[in-house]
Amino acid sequence: MSNDVNYGTIIKNGIFGENPVFRLALSLCPAVAVTSGVKNGFLMGVAVFFVMIMVNGTVSLLRNYINPKVRIPSYMFIIATWVTVTDLVMAAFARDVYKQMGLYIMLIVAFAIVLSRAEMFASKNKLLPSIVDGAAMGMGFLLALVMLGVFREFLGKGSLWGYQILDSKPLLIMILPTGGFFAMGLMMGWLNWIDRKFFGGTGGGGGGH
Amino acid sequence: MKEMLKITLSLVAIFIAAGLIMGVTYKYTSPVRFIAEKKEKEEALKEMAPDATDPILPAGNWTSSHGKPYEYYLATSSGKPVAYISSTAGKGYSSYIAMLVSMDTDLKIKDVKILHHGETPGLGDQVEDRKLFLDQFKGKALSQIVLLKSETTENIQAISGATISSRAVTNGVKDAVQTLVDKYGSGVKMAAQGVAK
Repeated sequence: MSNDVNYGTIIKNGIFGENPVFRLALSLCPAVAVTSGVKNGFLMGVAVFFVMIMVNGTVSLLRNYINPKVRIPSYMFIIATWVTVTDLVMAAFARDVYKQMGLYIMLIVAFAIVLSRAEMFASKNKLLPSIVDGAAMGMGFLLALVMLGVFREFLGKGSLWGYQILDSKPLLIMILPTGGFFAMGLMMGWLNWIDRKFFGGTGGGGGGH
Repeated sequence: MKEMLKITLSLVAIFIAAGLIMGVTYKYTSPVRFIAEKKEKEEALKEMAPDATDPILPAGNWTSSHGKPYEYYLATSSGKPVAYISSTAGKGYSSYIAMLVSMDTDLKIKDVKILHHGETPGLGDQVEDRKLFLDQFKGKALSQIVLLKSETTENIQAISGATISSRAVTNGVKDAVQTLVDKYGSGVKMAAQGVAK
């Protein structure tokens, strides 16, 4: 990797070009599980955002000390540490949020996107670019979860952020896991269409990771 | 051999450092968490018996039909009992629905509150979201806690699309009420059963 890093590119990449959910198709499982409501999606996104910054930063700092043969266990342990710290801090200082999210926080350990950024970016880059990449990817994940949450909660429950907007539930299936996959597919297709139509992209995205 | 040692040492160093970070975090967060959890529990109990002036104290333990231990509490106002409260849970579709049930001194249900559950969003979670469902329990005696699928004011009407969760709540409440009746009301229990016949 070269020394002159373009932060703008990293940020754009994380949020749009290689959006974790819609482009890389990573961590789809939690993306389906928590987005039955906007609020849960948002809170999960914030937790992942924090964990990704910390993990990328730590991995980048230790990149010359971690033995390449045991790098994956090392990354996993770093991730587990920061997730545990997040869990403990939230349990103590953000009780209301923790009551909603407590079950999901520990699952961040197994999120493919966190490990994949540690392996693909932070282990090869300096501290600052790695932190920016973690933040950008975390932001991309957060935005994807919020978009899915808005789509699914509005159609499935007729509400947003828990506030009732419609009297009816237009498409109950949307808040069930099945609907989560429908929503994700539709969003992916829609974003690819936008990319092709307005930005001249190939529309295929990264895919296949 | 040297390589093996290096790998081991590198991992051990990371594990020790991570362990230290987690330990320090735990040391500073756990007291805050403990106090917050205790306060939440007290507030939840207080909500179940708003007319109690004395602190609500645990009065004993019981084991439910699904083999889990629960506690019951006595709420008093200047020494006189005003409500009996019990924690309980019912086995729902995808989780145990944990609840608090309070009863007044003539052994009618005062209030039912769902503490936490993991039921299907949009279907099973209606037992918590639809206030009307839980409100049905208020003022009911043990013999009236029967779940029906038809419209009823005498018993409990299930939510369509959430029958299993409705049954879980009903069974959990019934367990708790049975326990409280066994503990506190020998005379009143007979009267309640008499009404049912």
